[in-house]
Amino acid sequence: MVSANVKVVNAEGMHMRPASLFCQTVTPFQSTVKINFNGNEFDAKSVMMLMSACIKCGAEIEIKCDGPDENEALKAAVDLVNSGLGD
Amino acid sequence: MYEGIAASRGIGIGSVCRIIEHDLTYENHKPEDTEAEKGRLHDAVESFKKETMEMADDIRKRIGPKEAEILEGHLVMISDPAMVGEMDKMIDNNQCAEAAVTAVCDMFINMFSSMDDEVMKQRASDVKDIKNSLLKILLGIEDINIGKVAPGTVLVAKDLTPSMTSQIVKENVAGIITEIGGKTSHSAILARALEIPAVLSVPGIIDLVNDKDTAIIDGTEGQVFINPTGDVLSTYIRKREDFIRKQEELKKFHGKETVTADGKKLELFCNIGTPKDAKKAIECDGEGIGLFRSEFLFMNNTHLPNEDEQFEAYKEAVQTMGGKAVIIRTLDIGGDKDIPYLNLEKEENPFLGYRAVRYCLANPDTYKIQLRAIMRASAFGKVKIMLPLVTTVDEIRSVKAMVEELKKDLDAEGIDYDKNIEVGCMMETAAASLIADKLAKESDFFSIGTNDLTQYTMSVDRGNAKVAYLYSAFQPSVLRSIKNIIAAGNAAGIPVGMCGEAAADPLMIPLLIAFGLDEYSVNPVLVLTARCIISKWSVEEAKALADKVMELDTEKEIVELLKASAKD
Repeated sequence: MVSANVKVVNAEGMHMRPASLFCQTVTPFQSTVKINFNGNEFDAKSVMMLMSACIKCGAEIEIKCDGPDENEALKAAVDLVNSGLGD
Repeated sequence: MYEGIAASRGIGIGSVCRIIEHDLTYENHKPEDTEAEKGRLHDAVESFKKETMEMADDIRKRIGPKEAEILEGHLVMISDPAMVGEMDKMIDNNQCAEAAVTAVCDMFINMFSSMDDEVMKQRASDVKDIKNSLLKILLGIEDINIGKVAPGTVLVAKDLTPSMTSQIVKENVAGIITEIGGKTSHSAILARALEIPAVLSVPGIIDLVNDKDTAIIDGTEGQVFINPTGDVLSTYIRKREDFIRKQEELKKFHGKETVTADGKKLELFCNIGTPKDAKKAIECDGEGIGLFRSEFLFMNNTHLPNEDEQFEAYKEAVQTMGGKAVIIRTLDIGGDKDIPYLNLEKEENPFLGYRAVRYCLANPDTYKIQLRAIMRASAFGKVKIMLPLVTTVDEIRSVKAMVEELKKDLDAEGIDYDKNIEVGCMMETAAASLIADKLAKESDFFSIGTNDLTQYTMSVDRGNAKVAYLYSAFQPSVLRSIKNIIAAGNAAGIPVGMCGEAAADPLMIPLLIAFGLDEYSVNPVLVLTARCIISKWSVEEAKALADKVMELDTEKEIVELLKASAKD
């Protein structure tokens, strides 16, 4: 299992478009991808779960990946958040 | 008269057609064959996806890609494995498809509607829309066809779902009234895109009206009249004509030059905050960018953006403007704009402290990255550099020296840029105004920032309600300051612009014409309005009015005279 803390920088936070882009990015990986936010864990491969986390701009989130391609999955997820989630 | 939220401007008069929600009750039964029941659910989901995709295509073509995003969002949501997966699980536990849809959707509706975030709350209405559509398909219910309503119909609904809105034929719908929804709801966005007057959040309206009632909707003021008296009706028929006439009049100014009534050519630019806004400026017929705030690059970030990141952003705006001027204001932080990763100390008086050009000059390494990025972007169009919060001649001299130094570096590296790139001052402090003649000798242009100029001239914090009454650009002191800055620029032969809110104010425009302002930079949506007002004043008339105004003693007298002299 690998994990990293990142800050959500796009102005909109994890709304429809960013959340859907995030899911699309992590879904192809075999590893499970979870997000820890405010003490709760969310399945990052579900756009509904991601949005239900109510992650806003400036929020610190922990991304956890577990599986055969966990390093690649984590890197893709972290890069995407740092790049502003397509906004 | 009923009041609600003014969600889409204009006056609509027509005959009510209520959109009553369908009875979606169903008999809860235990499925005989859970696999077959799941098949029934999956078929419903597939036909929902197909319908939604078709509606999204239709909206994209008829209205625009942004409006179609709502329905595309529904597709993303229903395609989430968590949705259908959970429903399948419920069917496995001997629930019927209708019950599974209801339970899973309700869970998400409750979750989204309890969130402390307006935009997220909107997701609840998306899930509700999905739920109702799925239930209708499962129960075999046909929807009323909104696309077939008669011309002059006023739609009254509890809430207008995106799937309903997508069927609206603009020519037949005179107005929209709903019981729920705010300015940023789907209904509001679509009503504005279709230019249909709309008043939303009118409590209980659906039970207060009957089909065929006459309704007046004032989408500008947020008012609704049902079966109005003859007087009210004739007043609103006139108002509607006025509104339509004004809109038509404004449209005529699209693609025209900005000229005064006596033919003096002026420049009408836009204020923007991101490179994408430049597209909006072009759509709204802006003639250039008078203020490109560069803070977005720094504020929506966790680290200082490097030279390439900045260069790409500036280049995007410059290329979008295709050769039209783009005035980029260098980093204007401090005051009310904090950037956490710069670790600036908290100050007692942030507006009088370490901010804007003061910060930039104290951190030349950071500032040079920005200047270089702007200079590189100047190879792709017409770029100007603007310094915020100038108070001394030394400041502009120092920045110009940095620019000269960077030119040598760029030359040595063989990187292209505009060798005649202009550097100017944002005129927004009392100090700058008093030495405007000196600054004019050092600057290639001026741009007056009326918001800060008013605050600093009047020594008033506009966020403080107790003193906010003093905050007005029509105060005699502020007007004298504006006049003085423009005169100094004119005398030195440099162009003078204004990028504050005042540049689009119908009352301020004649004064600015009289003082000799060259360039007006406004919010993109106000371009045509400003151009229309400018076209109504001759320089001579404006000067006669300004002479009278400058003789007056108080802000109240000035505003009264300007209102009395305003041209409709």
